[in-house]
Amino acid sequence: MFKAKMADAKLLKDMISAIATLIDEATFDINSDGIKLRAMDPSRVAMVDFEWPKTVFDEYACSEPMRMCINISEMLKLLRRTGKDESVELSLDEKTGRLQLTITGKYVRSFDMPTLEAVEEEVPTPKVTFNVKLKITTDGLSQAIEDANLVSDHVRFEIDKEKMVMRAAGDIMGATIEIKKGSDALLDLEAKEASKATFSLSYLSDIVKAAAATSEVATIEFSTDMPIHLDFQQPKEGKLTFYLAPRIEVE
Amino acid sequence: MKYSRIADAYKKIEATTKRLEMTDYLVELLKQTPKDLIDKVVYLTQGKLYPDFIGIEIGIAEKLAIRAVAKATGHSEKEIEEDLTKTGDLGKTAQNFSKEKAQAQLFRELLTVQKVYGDLDKMAKSTGAGSVDQKINLLAGLLANATPNEAKFIVRAVTGQLRLGIADMTVLDALAIAYGGGKEARKDVERAYNISSDLGMVAKTVVERGIEGLRRFEVSLGDPIRPMLAERLGSPQEILEKLGGKCIAEFKYDGERIQAHKQGDQVTLFSRRLENITDQYPDAVDLFKNYVKAKDAIVEAECVAVDPDTGEMRPFQELMHRRRKYGIKKAMEEYPVSLFIFDALYIDGEDLTLKAYPVRHKQLEKIIKQNDHVKVAEYLITDNVDELERFFEKAVESGCEGLICKSIAEDAAYQAGARGWLWIKYKRDYKSEMTDTVDLVVVGAFHGRGKRAGTYGALLLATYDPDEDSFKTVTKCGTGFTDEELNKLPEMMKKHRIPHRHARVKSTLKADVWFEPAVVVETMGAEITLSPIHTCAVNVIRKGAGLAIRFPRFTGNYRLDKSAEDATTVNEIAQMYRNQLKTLAE
Repeated sequence: MFKAKMADAKLLKDMISAIATLIDEATFDINSDGIKLRAMDPSRVAMVDFEWPKTVFDEYACSEPMRMCINISEMLKLLRRTGKDESVELSLDEKTGRLQLTITGKYVRSFDMPTLEAVEEEVPTPKVTFNVKLKITTDGLSQAIEDANLVSDHVRFEIDKEKMVMRAAGDIMGATIEIKKGSDALLDLEAKEASKATFSLSYLSDIVKAAAATSEVATIEFSTDMPIHLDFQQPKEGKLTFYLAPRIEVE
Repeated sequence: MKYSRIADAYKKIEATTKRLEMTDYLVELLKQTPKDLIDKVVYLTQGKLYPDFIGIEIGIAEKLAIRAVAKATGHSEKEIEEDLTKTGDLGKTAQNFSKEKAQAQLFRELLTVQKVYGDLDKMAKSTGAGSVDQKINLLAGLLANATPNEAKFIVRAVTGQLRLGIADMTVLDALAIAYGGGKEARKDVERAYNISSDLGMVAKTVVERGIEGLRRFEVSLGDPIRPMLAERLGSPQEILEKLGGKCIAEFKYDGERIQAHKQGDQVTLFSRRLENITDQYPDAVDLFKNYVKAKDAIVEAECVAVDPDTGEMRPFQELMHRRRKYGIKKAMEEYPVSLFIFDALYIDGEDLTLKAYPVRHKQLEKIIKQNDHVKVAEYLITDNVDELERFFEKAVESGCEGLICKSIAEDAAYQAGARGWLWIKYKRDYKSEMTDTVDLVVVGAFHGRGKRAGTYGALLLATYDPDEDSFKTVTKCGTGFTDEELNKLPEMMKKHRIPHRHARVKSTLKADVWFEPAVVVETMGAEITLSPIHTCAVNVIRKGAGLAIRFPRFTGNYRLDKSAEDATTVNEIAQMYRNQLKTLAE
């Protein structure tokens, strides 16, 4: 038996949007402690690692551990129907294998959708030694990425002890965005050594845009030409982090 | 099983032009394939996921494939398009960029056959909103994890350009060698394929149950049988000689050949090319369901468009209005069909494909409840050249393409998938199109049925022969009248009605009602053909044959200004025939 209720449907909608940036079908690990998901996009360029302990929910019950696979984009369509001050409840009908999604607000509507065959793959954590760690407001990060997105489809991060510089070079235009340590956006910066890496903006922009809706502050870790790790701090005890592999730059 | 095994085999196959070598590489690949994957591997070598009759194709547009290559390799679409103009092959371009990826991965996944087949299957089945993105993501996912060589073949497969040159027949050879014990098994493998049209299933059967299992392979409801095809000859003499002096000649209807599989109330229709066309012909489905008396059966029929008012056959082009996905109900009303059933391949558990044609034909006649819309194809058993020629003319005149003459030998089995001399086409190689209207005299009429009950279904029309001062029939016309005109006809013709054929009218047809020659109608037809029935210009063009107007249509003009003797003459019709006579290109 699995049942979970959330007073603010927006939380679930935003979280599912963030996951949907990478995957179409998601296999959730569900047990009495809460819900987890770790998955890579089909190209294996990016990974999402998500956890919601039961305390995030207003009501939560799960009688035995299970893996539940659902079509994320279909679920998102349903959740986009939620409005302000509406609650949402998920429950799995074990007989039919269908997930019921009930949205309660001015009126009650109940949807049901099929669950799919769960993927049995264990996704490992990438082993990376990070030389840089910084804390940045998601607003500041989103703005910087939007700027870079205007001129190119990838962006280079160059970070030393003092500042974070993002460079984007397109066919016609170029952009340099500099955020200094101690500014309103860059809350903290530790760099063991200066590091540089380039990332695809199509991934980065989707991830940051969607995750920013769930979080105020992100912790970023990376090293030269290694995957970047983005940890979007959650208001409650949840966890939403991403890994994104770098582009290979031929100098 | 790793997908690289398949891609490596493709690479070798692609490099050779020799069919035997190609077969060897295929044998090697099939031998390496685990049992449970054999059907999938066979489909993949054909660039497919299922047998054709299932109707699921991978089909990714090149534009989408370019986006997927871009996404998987981290290069821009522009770079990929530029390279594509150089290579002319998106597979090669994908291979090039796959060697120099601009995007790293967190982890690399080794592609398995299961994974590739599964994702291609998802792409093929993905429909509706968001399906474009889903297809791109799935393809990009495969390409990101593929080796350059794998990427090349995956892209070619999804864009329908695998083109390895592995024909069905090469796969059959390879299966016989790999699992049937050698080339001798080829015959059994081929028969199984011809009665199932499913290479994957044949492969699965021979792998799991050996050549013995394959020999027990039978026709099965739902799997289309590859159609038997006819050779062609140009004269009745040659045909009779070839068929041992005697044959069953059947009308070759100008329609669509349909193979119907009836399983209780469930009917599935396959086209000649084995596409599932059940949805296009709900009326034909009902006809098969209601008038094939066997519980289970596989029968073959020609489906022909008919005039809803007269029941007369319409030309093939009219039937093509039924080739549609939408608006089927309306098309069904405007272009109703009749079925002319000509073969039975399976009846209630019994596979008839190895039985002789006369046996199959007898069985067929037993299970068909004939009516206006379902008939056994018109046939004639004959050993006479003239009789055959007259039957041919009758077929052409009534709207058919010609005849199919079939062997009545005891070993004349149904040769699925083969073109052979057991069936011989006799098609006309000339055609005389009508370019102008003619004025014809109404000399008789036939009672209407159905919607036309109470009035006339068709008029018997004649030309004037000034030499004999007689009227000679040239066509039966029921098309072109408005409902109003039709309803007025009996009243209008009343004063000309006589109790028997008029002495000056020469006709072999027995009309239901006779008229004195008086009313002249303007008529258009598709063409003028030789006719064994009509008396117009008998013996003028060919001995024993007259001339007839095929697909006649009343233009709406009563030629009140003309008397019966002013009608178009037999000589004018003969002249029109000669002037417009053209040899048909095959």
